[in-house]
Order: sequence, then C-alpha cells, then structure tokens
Amino acid sequence: MSRAHAAGGGPAKAPANSLLRRWSGPLTSDLTLHPGDFGLGKVPERLRPDLTTTSVCGFCSVGCGLNIHMRGGRAVNLTPATDYPVNLGLACPKGWEALTPLESAGRATAPLLRSAGGELEEVDWETAMQVFTLRFRAVMDKHGPESVAWLGTGQVCSEELAFLGAFAKFGMGIVHGDGNTRQCMATAVSAYKESFGFDAPPYSYADLEHSDVLVFVGSNPCIAHPILWQRVLRNPHRPEIIVVDPRKTETAMAATRHCAIRPKSDLAFLYGIARILIERGMLDRRFIDAHTTGFAELSERMRRYDPETVAEATGMDAAALVETAEAIGRGRRVSFWWTMGINQSHEGTLAAQAIINLALMTGNIGRPGTGANSITGQCNAMGSRLFSNTTSLFGGRSFLRAADREDVAGILGIDAGRIPAAESLAYDQIIAAVEAGKIKALWVVATNPAHSWIDRNHLSRVLGKLDFLVVQDMYAATETARAAHLVLPAAAWGEKEGTFINSERRVGLVKKVARAPGQALTDFNIIRLAAHYWGCGEMFRQWTSPEAVFQILKRLTAGRPCDITGIEDYRMLDQLGGVQWPCPAGSGPPVPEGRLFADGLFCTPDRRARFVTGEPTPMPEPADPAFPIILLTGRGTSAQWHTQTRTGTSAVLRRLYPAHVYVEVNPVDAAKFGIRPDGRVRVASRRGELVARAFVTVNVRPGEAFIPMHYPEANRLTHPSFDPKSRQPSYKACAVSLSPAGQ
Amino acid sequence: MGGGRRGPDLSAPDTAASFLGEIERALEEQGNLSAVERFARWHEPSGNPAQQKYYRDLLPASLPAPGQQYAFEVDLDRCSGCQACVTACHSLNGLDERESWRSVGLLSNEDWRAPFQATVTTGCHHCADPGCLTGCPVLAYDKDPVTGIVRHLDDQCIGCQYCVMKCPYEVPQYSAERGIVRKCDMCSSRLAHGEAPACVQACPTLAIRITLVDTASTVAAYRGGAAAFLPDSPSPRHTVPTTRYVSARELPPTLAAGDRGRVSPAPAHLPLVLLLVLSQLAVGASCAAPFCADPRLPASAAALAVTAALAAGAFHLGQPLKAWRAFLGWRRSWFSREVIVFGVFGAAAVACAAAAVAAPRMPVRPMLALAAAAGLAGVACSAMLYADTPRAFWGAGNSFGRFFGSVVVLGLALPLAAMPHSARAFTGLSLALAAASAAKLAFEERIRRHRGEGGALLNTELGRTAYLLSGPLAVQANLRRAFGGAGGIAAALAAAGAAGAGFRGARAAAVLAFALVLAGELLERYLFFTAVSPDRMPGGRSP
Repeated sequence: MSRAHAAGGGPAKAPANSLLRRWSGPLTSDLTLHPGDFGLGKVPERLRPDLTTTSVCGFCSVGCGLNIHMRGGRAVNLTPATDYPVNLGLACPKGWEALTPLESAGRATAPLLRSAGGELEEVDWETAMQVFTLRFRAVMDKHGPESVAWLGTGQVCSEELAFLGAFAKFGMGIVHGDGNTRQCMATAVSAYKESFGFDAPPYSYADLEHSDVLVFVGSNPCIAHPILWQRVLRNPHRPEIIVVDPRKTETAMAATRHCAIRPKSDLAFLYGIARILIERGMLDRRFIDAHTTGFAELSERMRRYDPETVAEATGMDAAALVETAEAIGRGRRVSFWWTMGINQSHEGTLAAQAIINLALMTGNIGRPGTGANSITGQCNAMGSRLFSNTTSLFGGRSFLRAADREDVAGILGIDAGRIPAAESLAYDQIIAAVEAGKIKALWVVATNPAHSWIDRNHLSRVLGKLDFLVVQDMYAATETARAAHLVLPAAAWGEKEGTFINSERRVGLVKKVARAPGQALTDFNIIRLAAHYWGCGEMFRQWTSPEAVFQILKRLTAGRPCDITGIEDYRMLDQLGGVQWPCPAGSGPPVPEGRLFADGLFCTPDRRARFVTGEPTPMPEPADPAFPIILLTGRGTSAQWHTQTRTGTSAVLRRLYPAHVYVEVNPVDAAKFGIRPDGRVRVASRRGELVARAFVTVNVRPGEAFIPMHYPEANRLTHPSFDPKSRQPSYKACAVSLSPAGQ
Repeated sequence: MGGGRRGPDLSAPDTAASFLGEIERALEEQGNLSAVERFARWHEPSGNPAQQKYYRDLLPASLPAPGQQYAFEVDLDRCSGCQACVTACHSLNGLDERESWRSVGLLSNEDWRAPFQATVTTGCHHCADPGCLTGCPVLAYDKDPVTGIVRHLDDQCIGCQYCVMKCPYEVPQYSAERGIVRKCDMCSSRLAHGEAPACVQACPTLAIRITLVDTASTVAAYRGGAAAFLPDSPSPRHTVPTTRYVSARELPPTLAAGDRGRVSPAPAHLPLVLLLVLSQLAVGASCAAPFCADPRLPASAAALAVTAALAAGAFHLGQPLKAWRAFLGWRRSWFSREVIVFGVFGAAAVACAAAAVAAPRMPVRPMLALAAAAGLAGVACSAMLYADTPRAFWGAGNSFGRFFGSVVVLGLALPLAAMPHSARAFTGLSLALAAASAAKLAFEERIRRHRGEGGALLNTELGRTAYLLSGPLAVQANLRRAFGGAGGIAAALAAAGAAGAGFRGARAAAVLAFALVLAGELLERYLFFTAVSPDRMPGGRSP
C-alpha cells in the first residue's frame, strides 16, 4: 500500500444491489480486477496468471523484456517486465500485443505444396521434406551450387539463424544467402567494420540518459523505438536534443533543435558540421592523436564544406548550421544516434561514417553518454550480424580469409573445404541473378520480400521466374508465400526458445510460452529435419536443441570482440535480464552498462579507428518537372511492424493506424495539385503508382511527401538504388507526381 | 565451387530417406511447454506491484479534499504518440478485442511556415457535470462523492446509448454484442490500492498522471470564463471535463485536429427513426381526432402508431428486458421524461381508441383532447432529449421545429387520407397539408446556409452537416425533398380535384399524399441522425 490511499481506502465501496439499481452482476464482474501476484499489481480476474515468465519481445531491436502471464498452461496476457534492464516495465503497443498474432487465423498449420493444378495443397512433413530435398538437389545438380540461394531474416533466433546458415552453406553447399537485415542495417555494418574494424555498435541504452547533447540523424525514436525515447526523457541533464530529419516528426517536435535538411543531403550536412568543429578547434586532439588515423585527410576534405556551401546543399540556414555545430562542440557527453534515414540511402555508409567521424574527432566515444550509435531495426538483426553466416562468416569473420575458415571448421568439427571461400551475393544481387536466370531456386525464411523489397512490382515478376520457391513462415498468406511452390509452416515468436541480440548488444532469452498451431514447427526443427533429409544429419549431430547450439555459438565467439563465452547458459540470461557482449569467460560478472572502446583501442589491426570520408554523390532520382515531389518513406506508427503480417492481426492495433495507405502532403502542394484533405491522390513514380488518402499536414515540407512503408503499395514506387558499399536499398527518396484521383 | 564441397548424398537424389521418427520427435517437442516451468520458478509471488516505484510520483499524495476530485493530467510536451496507453488499457483491463478506453489524436498547425504538432492522448474526462450521468434514464452512472470518478454500472445499463449522444468526448462505447456501453473508471480499484491506472503506469514518457482538481473553480473557469480546454475540441461548457492538458510551450493559435476534414455519416439508428416518426404520427392523429366527425379512425390510428413506435424503440435497446427501470432518471434525464410521458400518452391513446370503438356513445372527445395534450408533451420531451445533447444540429430550434413539424404534416395527412369529409373540409385540409409540407421542407433547407463559399466549412458542426447533406448523403437528401415535395403536390392536386369534379381522384391523391409525406418524414428523420457531426476530440490519421 502506498501513500495516503492506504489510509482512506480510496473510493467508497459499491452499495449493495437493490431492485432498482444493480451495482454488480455478471456484466460488472467481467471487468473485475484482482491482485495478480508475481509483482504484477491488479490484473483482470479472468486472466489471473498461475505462473509468469520473462521473454524478450520479438518485434524490434530494442529488445524489451515482457512478462508472459500463463494460466492453465496457456499464455493469456502479458505486461512489460519491470526488472528487465532495457524497458523498465514499459512497452510500445506492439509489445503489449505480442501474443495476439499467435492466434491469427492466417497461420500456416501444415506444409503446402503447389499441385499440378497450380494450387497450394496440404501435404505431410515427410512429403514436404522429400520435395524440398529432391527439388533443391535437382536444381543444384543441373545448374551448380550457385543456382540456389536463401533469403533469411532478423526475426528468428540466433540459434536458428546459425543453423540455417551452417546447413545451407556447409551442408547443402549453397554459396549465396542474405537476409532482410540487408534492408535495415547493412549500412551500419559496413560503416562500423571499416571505421572500427568490427561491426560493433559501442553503446548502452543508458547512454541516452547520460548525454548532455543527443543528436538523432534520420531517426524517429518516438515512433520507431518508443522505449528508447522513454530513456531519453529519463535523462536528468536537460540535454540539448538535435534532430536531423526532413520531416517535422514526433521526435523533431520534442527536440530542442530541428535541422530540417533536404532529403539525402546528410553527407553535406555532417561534413559541414565537421568543418565548423575543426575550424573552431572544438576537437579532442589527444584522442585523435592517440587513437585514430586519417584525420589530416579528413581535415583537408572538409575544407570545401563551408557553411554557405552546405546551406546551399541542405536548404538549411548557415547560421543555424553553425549554431548546431557549436552545440555539439560544447557538449561534454555527446551521443550520436542514427537509424534508417541514414542506413537506407544511396550514400548511407559514408554518411554513417561521417557521424562516426564527428564522435571520434570530439572524443565522444567510450565514455558514458557518448558514441556513434546505430539503432538497428529487427529484434535479432544484431544476432544475424554475428551468426547468420551470410555476409560474414560466423562470429564476424570473413569467408575470404583462410585462417577464419579453418577456425570455424575446427570449432564446428567440419572439413574447412566445406566453407565457401567466396562472399555471398547481396540481396539485390541475388534478385538480379534470379532475374538473369542464374539462380533457379530460392528458400525464403521469415521475411516477406514481395511486399518489402524496393520496387516490388519488379520483384514479383522476378519471383515468377524461379523453378522452385520455398517459403518458410508462420503465415500461409503473406505476399511471398502466395507465390511459393512449397510453404513450410513455422512456429512463431513465443512458440520456441532461443536468443536475440538487441541494439545495445544484449543477448536476451526468448521463451516458448505457447504451442504452435497444427503441424507448424520451429525454424530450428525445420532446418534440423531438412538436414536429416539432405543426408547431413551427422554433420549436425551436436545441433540438438537451441541451447546446445547456443553453446556452439559461444565457442564461435571465443577471443573475438563479440566474445560471449562468459554467458553460462540460458538460465544465466534469464536471471540477469540478458547480458551484453562482450562477456568473455573469466571476466567476472557482466557489467550493468557495457560500453565498447573505453580504452580507446579499436578492432583494426593497428587498434586505431579510421576517419573515412568520400565524395557526396547526387540523389539517384531527383525531382524533375514530370515527377516534382520527393517521396519519403518510413514507419507510420508504433503500432505497425514492417509488412504488417503480425501487427495486422491485432484488432486493437488496427485501431491505431489508418487501414488504407495514405500520403502526407504539405498544404502548399495540396493546393498546387488540387488535393483535398482526406481526398484520394494518385501517387506515381517511374515504376508504378498507387492511390492513397491525402493527409494534408505541415509536417512534411512543400516538395516532399511521405508514405509509411507498411502498406503493400508503397514499394511499387521506390527507386531501386543502393549504397555501393553496403548494397542496402535507398528506400527513403524517389521522385513522384501527385494528382487528385476522384472521390 | 569445387565438387569437393558437395554433400555426402548430393549425387543420389533417389535416396531421399524417411525420417518419420525425427518428424514425430519435432512435433512432440512442439506440443511440450515444460521449458516455461523450468524458468518460471524464479518469479515469486509478491504483494506490491513491482512497477510502483516508477509510477508512485504520478499519483496524488492524498485523497481529494472536499470540493476536489481526481483528474487525469496530460503533458502535451511529453506525449510522443506511441499509443502504449491504448493497448495497456485494453490488456490490463481485459477488454474486448477492439476495445480500449483511450485513444490518441493529433493536433497540428495549419500554418505550414511554422510546423508544429502535438499528439493527444484522451480518455474519459470524469467531468464535473457529466453528460452521460445526467442523461442516463436508469441511473447507470455514478459519480463517486469522494474521488469524483464517473463510473458506469454495467448491470444497470439498458443499452439505450443516450450517454453516447450526451458525451462530447465519445467516451461511452456501445458493444452490440453485450448490449451495454462500457467506459473508463480511471481504474478506480487500482487507485484504491495505490496502483496507477493502466494508462498511467504504461506511458513510457510519463505523460499521464492523476492530479487533484478543484471542482467548483473548474466549473467556473469553463462556464463562467472562457478558459481553454484543448484546441479544436468540443467546448468544455457542456460537461466541464476535469482532464488537464498542460504544455510549457505556447500552442500556435491555428492548431487543427488531425482528422479535421474527415466527415462521415453518423449511425442511422433506424429504430429511433421509427420511434420518432410513428410517435409524432400518433400525436398528430390524436390531435386531429377531436375535430373529426368520426373520431374512431384517428383514435385507433394513434393507438396503433404509438404502440408501434414504442415497440420500434425497444429494438433500439441493448437490454430491453431491463428497460422498465427507464423512469428512474426523471429528475434529470429527458430520456426518462420521454418514456414516462409517452407511457401516459400510449395508455391514454389506447384507452381512447378502445372507448371510441367499444362505446361509441361515450363522450370521448375530452379524453382525446387530454391524450393529445399528453402526446404533445411527449413530443416536447423527444425534442428536448436531442436538444439536451451537445450536438448543434440537434439544437432546440431544429429538434422542436422538425418534430412538431412532423406532428403537423402527419396530423393533417392522416385524417385527409383516411376519412370522409365535406368537400370544403377536404379542400381546406389538402391546402393546409400542401402548405405545411412546403414550410417544413423550407425549414429543413435552412441548413444550406452553413455551406461555405465554394465548399463546406468543415470546422463547424453545422458546416459539416451541410457538407454531408450535399455530399455523402446527397442521394438521401434529394429523396427526402422529392418525397416531401411530391407529398405536398399530391395534397395540392387533391385540393384541386376536390374543387373540380373528380372527388374520387382527389381521395386517391390524398392517400398518395399521406404515403409520400410519411416516407418523406422517415427520410427526414434518417437524415436527422446520419447528418449530425458533433465536435469531437482531435483524431489522428486513422479513420
């Protein structure tokens, strides 16, 4: 009992029923609350748990702990876990509704095989696995190992990703595999690898609370990562919050300074800031000299980015640019955060590195409240970065390095010759190879490229060229599954065990709290079956359970920057509320706030960080008279997740966003193109068009428009351009036209 | 890639072996949830909610003093629009699939040179003078004398949804499945034990708290002065909401709700359409009856119509079996008064009809006059019922004008169609009906004045109604004009026919006039419900 309520007892107790007035009864008791025990406070009587357990959320990379309420062996409700160090008892709407998609009627409950008549028909697992094996084999026999590829995900557990990557590359002999993580954080990976020598986001979420200056570039945490914004609002230092975003987003509204730069002018903006800092001497010379290389070249290159030139390029006021730079320069603990606005652009890697440069030159790294920090997207994007065996070999190694291959072969007890000595094609290159007829069979696991891939009309045509498309998903009706030859029904988050790694490198535990419907199996067991049918069961005889594989993953990280050998087992993860990497064995108990590079030593051969710069290149598809509007895309609401296969199944989440695609248009453009508020607008690009409802708002500027990516139509418009270093698609800017489309 | 990397069986596709045992093992494992129990044992039962340490400061330190009550306070600067409050309310209260008692809207500046937006979480405002409570016919609302929390008694509710019309904030939500409305009770049972309401404890940015407000000064601020509640939202004068929206920033004067411009027809409430039109027909008939040579027909028609009206009304209720309590709210609720007065009128009309038919010698005219008086009082109650809501289109002028207009046109049309008259009386009635129909149509057309230049003014209630009638509801509105106009023309033809030779043709025209006028009135009432567009709390992008 707390405060004065204890004394007064709160509101008067309800009077007894009389003939004329019913104060209680069956309808009233439907909403009766009851102490929930387990430290939960009151919960609905109907949903009172007899047991609770904590599991990491399966939506985004924040990785919140959710307390699952179990009753009679069934997950009946959940509340955010108070004692979980990430979210402190809070969650966004997706987290609150994490259990709802499990009950969806659209779940895949049996393997489906396309019949001679062209229909998907239910088959048993025996048939499915034999078809899987025979048809992939047939393609590989006829066209060679490079004729088969897989597209994975950041949505399943590290153990499953590792099993998929190991089986596909070492068992099946596939060369090319990539994941939907290419769409969200490939740019950050490239930038970190080159600048720090390892893909290593250096921060803890606690840094959001320690900074006196926070800089968010292309990031809208209020909507995309609400629980991180919660941490910002807990910052007691009255921080300066600088938001760099063309739109007046919710985060920009809450900022102390909003730099509304032109779409894709980030590089010029960041270089302009760097030049002012250099000019003003707002630098950490000691750090630069001791721990970095390339500063002289950087200084030389930055000279051209004087405030007037940058103002011209970014559309920003030169004085405001100087003020922004000075605010950063004055900060004692400055942290830089970026998300998809940087990652998804045609020169994203350079822009990410320009952010890293600012942190390095001002010595804002390795200390509380600092860092050049990429906030990633999916719940296990970070796990896929280490363990998917796609872009890099297990544990952040390279396929090209013989020593790395032998290392891995030794740990896994396989012949090093089974590890490809070539790098995989990237996602866009795999699609191009399918189009060129080089890749004939594709295995898609827990992702929905037919909705999410850039320029999706084109992709749909390409998928039709495949001889064999296998889709492994929890839903039988995703846009991609509908095109498949074979659908393998997968268990969802909540129906399996394993680990995720969140944005702050925290390895967290996912638990099985529900039974998968019908014949659906965990991705882990599907891959295990596939390995048996393929005839390489022996190679994976130690890969018996997720926790057994976790022990293998630990060995793969030993001595690496991402060393997790100090994590004993799942139980330890559960007790500690996750553990951040690195956590090498023998290093004592994990620290509550892990932060990399505190010693100024980076992962490059000379242990120095690199200043990496390059030339800005023009936007691949600028506006022109025929397509005069730059279309921005991004997250619509915090109640929507990616292609909506899961969030779309929750009735209460569906209340929170428009059912149909809408486009945000500035009143000036609305007037110019004859668009009525809430009226229908045709949005056309060179690749396709859609009809959307107009949301006329001042939060996008004249000449720009915004469509949330969750609507399947959005990627009909996007322009297939890619960052040359990371191969990540540039979803955020393409040229479109707007016209009224009737009532 | 070299052949040396190939799998052991790659060259032998016909050896696809069977691993039924493995499949069975996998499926069996899938059904086993024992892993949960392995890790669940660390979660010991404990008394105090763990989250209390984070929300303690969001609750007042004491119970409200006399003259005070609990209120929500929303910090517009902290609300980031994540909508966790909406889902937490849903989950922590165990609500129905789509149900939540919070929603989040958007205010943004109309001036594009100064981009500004604020997300607005809104729920029940636990008003100082709650419209839901004053309107409820069965006393299913209770305002707690200590906390001021406005609670709904779910087992008392008859599902009449009058509270939905009375509340300017769309707080009571009707569930057709349950046949009742439900609403926020500020998680009163949580508050009673020092726990925060679901929305308060779930807000990641601590934007919602519970405070104590002084009730009298809140009333004075909203009803005496011109204190602002929230931009582009219903006037706080109606019910005196206690929620405080606070911001350290100066809000731009040109803030508009995110859903401004989004206008769609309101529910038609067909049983209410029938209830109103049939009851007004009954009253018209019983007003006409004393003047008729043979009162049997109008008296019977009145009895039938009022019975049908009340039966139709029952179909509107979610819990008709509990409706006998509907008199309870007579002190405050025009709904109760309507029920009581129409109860009296119905009984009187039936008694009159019985008397007129069974005992033709009885002097029924005084009784008929009394019944008619009761009926007119009932129509006044009907009009007040709608006029007493905060909806401008249902204001007293419009409600009284339309409802009594219906009494007049139907009260003229029925006797005209049904009874033998002298040619002179027939002509008089016909002309009166033609004139009344025209006058009523003209009265209804006044709403067109609220159409803006070159389009509707969507930021006023009547502007939106005018827009609905000329846009989404144009077909129905034109039909209403057509029927009303045709009814009037038929009446005029009847008069002309009566003046000429074709009295029989005139009778047919009179019957036609009645049918057309009745259909026109039904359409008019349908539009009365569907074209209403009350001010509401700012909505977001979602329709």
